[in-house]
Amino acid sequence: MISKLKYIPMVLGPLIMTAVVIVLAIFILRAWWTTPFQVFGMGEPPEQPIAFPHTQHVKIDGISCAFCHQNVIRGDAATMPAVEQCLFCHATIQGDTAPPEVAKVVAHFESGTPINWKKIHRLPDHVQFSHEPHVRFLTQTQGLGIEAACATCHGDVRNMVEVEQVRRLKMGDCVDCHRDNIYLTDNKDITDCVTCHY
Amino acid sequence: MAKQHKWGMVVDIDRCIGCQACVIACQSENNVPINEEVDFLSRRAKQWIRIDRFWEGEYPNVKARFIPVFCQHCDNAPCEPVCPTYATYHNDQGLNVQVYNRCVGTRYCANNCPYQVRFFNFFNPSWPESLWNQLNPDVTVRSRGIMEKCTFCVQRIRRAERLIEGQKGEELTDQKIKDGNFMPACVNACPTDTLVFGDLNDETSEVVRKSKSDRSYRLFAELGTEPSVFYLKKVDPAAKSH
Repeated sequence: MISKLKYIPMVLGPLIMTAVVIVLAIFILRAWWTTPFQVFGMGEPPEQPIAFPHTQHVKIDGISCAFCHQNVIRGDAATMPAVEQCLFCHATIQGDTAPPEVAKVVAHFESGTPINWKKIHRLPDHVQFSHEPHVRFLTQTQGLGIEAACATCHGDVRNMVEVEQVRRLKMGDCVDCHRDNIYLTDNKDITDCVTCHY
Repeated sequence: MAKQHKWGMVVDIDRCIGCQACVIACQSENNVPINEEVDFLSRRAKQWIRIDRFWEGEYPNVKARFIPVFCQHCDNAPCEPVCPTYATYHNDQGLNVQVYNRCVGTRYCANNCPYQVRFFNFFNPSWPESLWNQLNPDVTVRSRGIMEKCTFCVQRIRRAERLIEGQKGEELTDQKIKDGNFMPACVNACPTDTLVFGDLNDETSEVVRKSKSDRSYRLFAELGTEPSVFYLKKVDPAAKSH
């Protein structure tokens, strides 16, 4: 009897260890899979200083993306429009007939201060992204309209009351598209690392 | 398939006056932090391009010799095969590329480089507050723990591609890159045209013409690294024959 009892620790030890490892693994994996992937502005859009509805401006008024985000077709950043540009239209559309948010824009214009919009689509510092070649590719090579070109990455902004991020814009997103379209840019390798990282 | 570029440089030592303009231009273009004396003494200084100075002769007949040394973008680069993460590799434009976000900081590449042109970030870079707005947004600010080196100003090459292919609808050629004055910062800054940048695959380019000169040689060519940078010997009748 004693001779059999002395084997119990030899069996029990590995058993307990295995159980502990399995429980820990389940705990870690469950935490890993159930934690939502946090991207700023994705799912819950941040509150902007002025509640600017893209639905009104794009969907109802029919203003093109590149009318306000002018630099998108010629430069790196799409750029937010200057307050003066809002006043192109809101010089006349203000006062009692306009929504109360318009008064904020006019106040910014009169005090000469910029609007501190919260940037939603953010990329890491080691990524060098330029809008111009992407818009050029989507509009000229793919033949999309400017709205459809923007919607490729930014989603259906025309139906967004508050702008939010719809794609994660991680490197996988970029490389998927770059790899699919590499045959269209035969003069250079767009999956080369120094296309974006330098 | 369009013809591939192979970017290269020619350094005419006969023209170099050692003014260090290229060093300053490189530092401001590529967000290289300012080196102080203590950085040099502790061997932590970062200079993507440096002017090596040699004194020749005895007083009063002393001559100063200058050689600008920067990443040679070797075709057979010793730094590339030792990288465990493929952070440094050769791309199809003849550039020896350093991908900062892949680098884990093993420093094997710097130890294997015979030219000593790779620099490790032992500390996070810092600038005085007056220079914060001077940083180039086209270049990543390298943080602590990664390797950095001369990139032949790849951000300027990319910008030139965007400009020329986008606005003119043409492909980037050596001639067009000359027209647009798209040069690495050191070449732009050089007052004596010591440095010439161009496409070694383009037979009409100035770098090809100059690299075929009788004075042409490459640094440590005997190591078999096959650099893309050609040096032109100094023409000095009074120099000692070696």
